[in-house]
Amino acid sequence: MIHFDNVTKVYANQNRPALDHVSVDVDKGEFVFLVGPSGSGKSTFLRLILKEERPNSGAIHVAGKDLARLSNFKVPHLRRRIGCVFQDFRLLPNKNVYENVAFALEVIGKPRRFIRKVVPEVIELVGLEGKAHRMPDELSGGEQQRVAMARAFVNRPMILLADEPTGNIDPATSIGIMKVLDRINRTGTTVVMATHDAAIVDSMRKRVVELEDGKIVRDQSRGVYGQAY
Amino acid sequence: MRANFIFSEVWIGLRRNLTMTLAVILTVAVGMAMLGVGLMINAQVSMMKDFWYDKVEISVFLCNKNSALETCKGKAVTAQQTKDLEARLKAVPGVEQVIFEDQATAFRNFQESLSNGNVLKQAAKVEDMPTSFRIKLTDPDNYQPVVQAAEGQPGVASVTNQKEMIGNFFAMLDKLRYAALIVAIALVIAAALLIGNTVRLSAYNRRRETGIMRLVGASNIYIQLPFVMEGVIAGLIGGVGAAVMLILAKVFLFDGLAGYFAGRGTLGWDAVAEAITYTMMIGVFICVLASFITLRRYLRV
Repeated sequence: MIHFDNVTKVYANQNRPALDHVSVDVDKGEFVFLVGPSGSGKSTFLRLILKEERPNSGAIHVAGKDLARLSNFKVPHLRRRIGCVFQDFRLLPNKNVYENVAFALEVIGKPRRFIRKVVPEVIELVGLEGKAHRMPDELSGGEQQRVAMARAFVNRPMILLADEPTGNIDPATSIGIMKVLDRINRTGTTVVMATHDAAIVDSMRKRVVELEDGKIVRDQSRGVYGQAY
Repeated sequence: MRANFIFSEVWIGLRRNLTMTLAVILTVAVGMAMLGVGLMINAQVSMMKDFWYDKVEISVFLCNKNSALETCKGKAVTAQQTKDLEARLKAVPGVEQVIFEDQATAFRNFQESLSNGNVLKQAAKVEDMPTSFRIKLTDPDNYQPVVQAAEGQPGVASVTNQKEMIGNFFAMLDKLRYAALIVAIALVIAAALLIGNTVRLSAYNRRRETGIMRLVGASNIYIQLPFVMEGVIAGLIGGVGAAVMLILAKVFLFDGLAGYFAGRGTLGWDAVAEAITYTMMIGVFICVLASFITLRRYLRV
């Protein structure tokens, strides 16, 4: 589903590569934690999948497509198959929960009838039933992140990328967020989650890829956050 | 493509930047009106040129018995000289027609051109009238060879070129037209910059929305169209304002001007419609162009 082959990314005006000869394979339906200190290349990894950045060398395949050969014109179609969740939620403050989720479908031209059918389903999936008409500032951090996940998942993407989704949320609430991510993963969606949260990684017992200075230093199925003992 | 979604976005954008939008509309309106006036002056000038240049001719006056002009040396033109001169003039390239005007015809024309009761009308006699050649040119601008061929020939009293006389008048109109065009170009540039600024403000105001649109895979057209439409709508409203100004200019300025020329060469509504069409097209084109260039720089997709 995601295939990195010897990928190196050096940002302009920087000597040290953000990613240094990284090769990794993520299969369909997998749940992968991406761990490592700040600046280790986790975000670059996610941005490369979205083709927001281009690698300096190496090949990236996402959902069977060679990103180097994907024309700019087709990048939006790639992104429709990838959902994204961020630490800062990125909700639209002037739209309510329902409208925020529906926005993702409106802007890719989905018919209104379809939107009316699927948006309530997804709101229920993330556990926000009955709160569809709340505004984002009336919701807790955890609830806002659920809205963001609903928006990321509403178009049934093949891949869900989560960049520290629990970074702004207390540990107790984070468990709820992880349950939703797990639920999404069980529908067959591949999930890649970058995180610093050791407790979460340890509790989930999923595949862990650890980056350090742009290199993969560990790739372990059913791993934990710290070093393997 | 969902039109109502795009239009609600456009409406929000225009309302948020109301002052900038108004500035764009006014600048576009005035700039396009100046451009239109320039085009209309152009049409007016070429129409008047057609009218007047059709009538202009070169007159070669010949000496008569009492001619006081130095070139005549007090002698009247002889029949042989007249004949030679006619042959000479006809041989000049670009000459369409050479008409000989004898004293009787000249007298008749002279009498017709003056009102009754004019002192000169009663005083003038047939013998006072000069004979002349009236020369029509295929191209009124190409008068130099004829003037050269006639001047200084025996029996020629003087050569007058009507083209030179009305030429000054048209030169002034030309200056007017260029002035209008320069002002128009300056205003069009100002309008383009203003539109660019408005679109940039709009893009900045909605960077959250566009960021999410990018993320969920909205196509470039979907993301950019609302911004471009903002520019186009502002441009169109400005264009309508310009059209109104042009119609007013036609009614009060050009029709008033035509009054001085006794209805000759009145600017028609077709010329106004043409000017409006061109200014509208240019206005909308500039708006689209300015929006696109700005979006390229400030809205990475």
